[in-house]
Amino acid sequence: MIFWTAAGIVYLSAVDDWQVYAKPLEQVKSWYEDIRQDFRQAGNVRAEGTLWRTVSGEEGITVSGAEGEVSSVPEGPFLPRAGGETSPVEEGSSLPGAGGETSPVTEGSSLPGAGGETSPVTEGSSLPGAGGEASPVEEGSSLPGAEGAASSVPEDNPASSAGFPDGGGPAGTSPETSEAAGEAAYHTVEDDYFADAVFIGDSRTVGMYEYGGLEETADFYASTGLTIYKMFDSEIVTVEGQRKKISVEQALTRKSYAKIYLMIGINEMGTGTVESFAAAYKEAVDHLLELQPDAILYIQGIIKVSTERSEQGDYINNEGIEARNEALSQLADNERVFYLDVNPVICDESGGLEPSYTFDGVHLKAQYIDLWKTYLKEHAVIYESN
Amino acid sequence: MVFSSIEFLLCFLPLFLLLYAVTPRYMKNAILLAGSLVFYAFGDPGHLWMLIVSVAVNYFLGLHLARGARLKGKDKKQKKKKLEYKRKILLATAIAGNIGVLAIFKSGIMAGGLPLGISYYTFRILSYLIDVYKGEETKETSFLRLATYIAMFPQLLSGPIASYGEVREELYEREFSARNIQNGLKIFTAGLVFKVLLADRLGLLWREVQVTGFESISTPLAWLAAAAYSMKLYFDFYGYSLMAVGLGQMLGFSLPSNFKNPYMAGSVRHFYRRWHITLGRWFSRYVYIPLGGNRKGEWRTLFNLLCVWLLTALWHGNTLNFLIWGMMLWALIVMERQMERLGAGKLFSHGPLKVFPHLYLWFVIPISWMCFAITDLPQLMTYLGRMFGVVEGIRVSTGDWKKALMNYGALFAVGGFACTPALQKLFRRFKDSLPGMLLLIALFWLCVWRLQVEGQNPFMYLSF
Repeated sequence: MIFWTAAGIVYLSAVDDWQVYAKPLEQVKSWYEDIRQDFRQAGNVRAEGTLWRTVSGEEGITVSGAEGEVSSVPEGPFLPRAGGETSPVEEGSSLPGAGGETSPVTEGSSLPGAGGETSPVTEGSSLPGAGGEASPVEEGSSLPGAEGAASSVPEDNPASSAGFPDGGGPAGTSPETSEAAGEAAYHTVEDDYFADAVFIGDSRTVGMYEYGGLEETADFYASTGLTIYKMFDSEIVTVEGQRKKISVEQALTRKSYAKIYLMIGINEMGTGTVESFAAAYKEAVDHLLELQPDAILYIQGIIKVSTERSEQGDYINNEGIEARNEALSQLADNERVFYLDVNPVICDESGGLEPSYTFDGVHLKAQYIDLWKTYLKEHAVIYESN
Repeated sequence: MVFSSIEFLLCFLPLFLLLYAVTPRYMKNAILLAGSLVFYAFGDPGHLWMLIVSVAVNYFLGLHLARGARLKGKDKKQKKKKLEYKRKILLATAIAGNIGVLAIFKSGIMAGGLPLGISYYTFRILSYLIDVYKGEETKETSFLRLATYIAMFPQLLSGPIASYGEVREELYEREFSARNIQNGLKIFTAGLVFKVLLADRLGLLWREVQVTGFESISTPLAWLAAAAYSMKLYFDFYGYSLMAVGLGQMLGFSLPSNFKNPYMAGSVRHFYRRWHITLGRWFSRYVYIPLGGNRKGEWRTLFNLLCVWLLTALWHGNTLNFLIWGMMLWALIVMERQMERLGAGKLFSHGPLKVFPHLYLWFVIPISWMCFAITDLPQLMTYLGRMFGVVEGIRVSTGDWKKALMNYGALFAVGGFACTPALQKLFRRFKDSLPGMLLLIALFWLCVWRLQVEGQNPFMYLSF
């Protein structure tokens, strides 16, 4: 028993810093503050002696101001103090309710991971909400994604109109393409197109590797949980005749490719903001182009999650993904860097991953990986490097 | 609140034990009941009232069912007959009422989901009522004691389904001591380790297969995943039961054990005498034997078994796959009985042939668990089809099972070892020695650490 407790104390001090208890304690403290607050208010009201104020007193925010005014008028000694104390606490508790009060606690006290994770999410989902949320939806509904972009190509470049899957109407150019420097000319290609390609990414790309039928053709630097932040340093590439895996950075310096496909970003949803993510992504893109001067780079928009998964209430949600995809699409210059978004092909009308295509709401089932692969084959750029 | 959660391990349990320790002896039931209600409220506050009402109503039913001890006067016989009749009606109503509520929720008519633990506490209540009716158990006059029996948190949510007789004495008088706490904690730790370090991790292979889609797994992987699920289910439930027994011991109860190395059995019949023992015992005591058991000829026995397995299937869930699961097991048991009659038992009980019954069990049980696990019928058919290579695969990666073996091989080995009685022997042998205790302590805090890491980042294992 003694050992047990001792070990527990050591564990809690060393690993956890007693945070298990800190959070509930803070919670209790805030409840206590609230209650004390209520009592004080009730006291004030009684001092005033009017009934109607008790009624309005329970309604919350509006009262605090009113009461401060009222209470400061009549009586001397302790009322101003009460009023002064009221307002700061009132501010805290009235703002976003209990949730708002607890989260700063988490942030402040410790848990750099968890704390950092919670706050940016709100930012991520709310910030671009106004602008970012609206535009991708428009995109999705007015034209079938990049096919629309593709169909606009013939206007500029009739030579490339050869193998188009069409079906996407002659709808307008999508916002990001029109903003970008030039417009991409997409062709339909066969599997051998990927012979000099490398796919870099997280578990989604692992799925492509295992079930896309390209494992013999292309190279895959993919690993579950890979993030843009640690992409180059992750030792995930196997080399023939060598037990130890080498990092993506090393692998890219050893072998050169003509095409790089990047599908990454779902694991980063919980960290950073849209801006910080896009900045890290841009840095990675620049570094990739630097390492592979002859390659073109496809930035693939993060595959969305199913609407059910999105509504689960954590940081993995489609609004966040859309916002980040919007930022990613801005990184394309349509000369060497292209943005591809497979989402319209695999999402339902609610904007989430089609439920029958997935078990966990995040990954495509093996048999539907083909949809993604076909999309890539229909959106290939033929790039002649000098 | 589940046992394997940070809230329970670091907040509820220490706090409750402290309170329980300082409570005077005659108040211990009260504090246990109060703690149990709090425990329940953490998990399912919306249905707490149902538990309370259920206990209260059944308390009075129990009192009435036990009437009839003192009969005096001339028309004693007549009165007795009348009373017997009344009691019979009352029992029938009580059973129908309890089962009815359970059935309504199980069938999903009521919105809001299944109340937590209702399958288990209903069964405990029924066993008490029937025992009282039959006169095998005297009625419990103290509401507090009965409520404590039904609602005590170690066994509240998932059993073991202890009968009232098993805990009766301890409800009156039980030993609360440091030694009991220590022993209980050891058993609890074993359960926690099974749950956190084995079940949860083996479950990942099963999950991976679901993510891939059953259409796209190779036949060997289908078998591997079925084995992983079988082990996961065992360690999940065995772990939970051990934790319950351990908690019980800490408080001074000796709860019945629920598992006895089921995967070491040689037939489905024996398997289910070693798997979820308290449930099997319940069905045997209150369904199989009242129907006549095996004393009314082979045909009647088979029918009684059918009833038991139909009810068992319904108890687990109302979807068709559970029916398939139950009927498959029933069919296997019928077959085993006929084999036995033909004298196969002797044939396989000696020499090298002894291995066949085990192989047979390891073949059929994973199949049955797949019927248990996959609620969607077309999906179930696909899975079984892939297990036997009957259904054509779509985009199957042929080497997928090698990868699974590489990732989970060690876990399979440990899990396989933990399925044998050897581990229990080791546990009993070393649990009181210093190295053994230190190991258990380390494992306990390792589990806590794991749970905490997973809690902060649910994608620790399941990162994308």
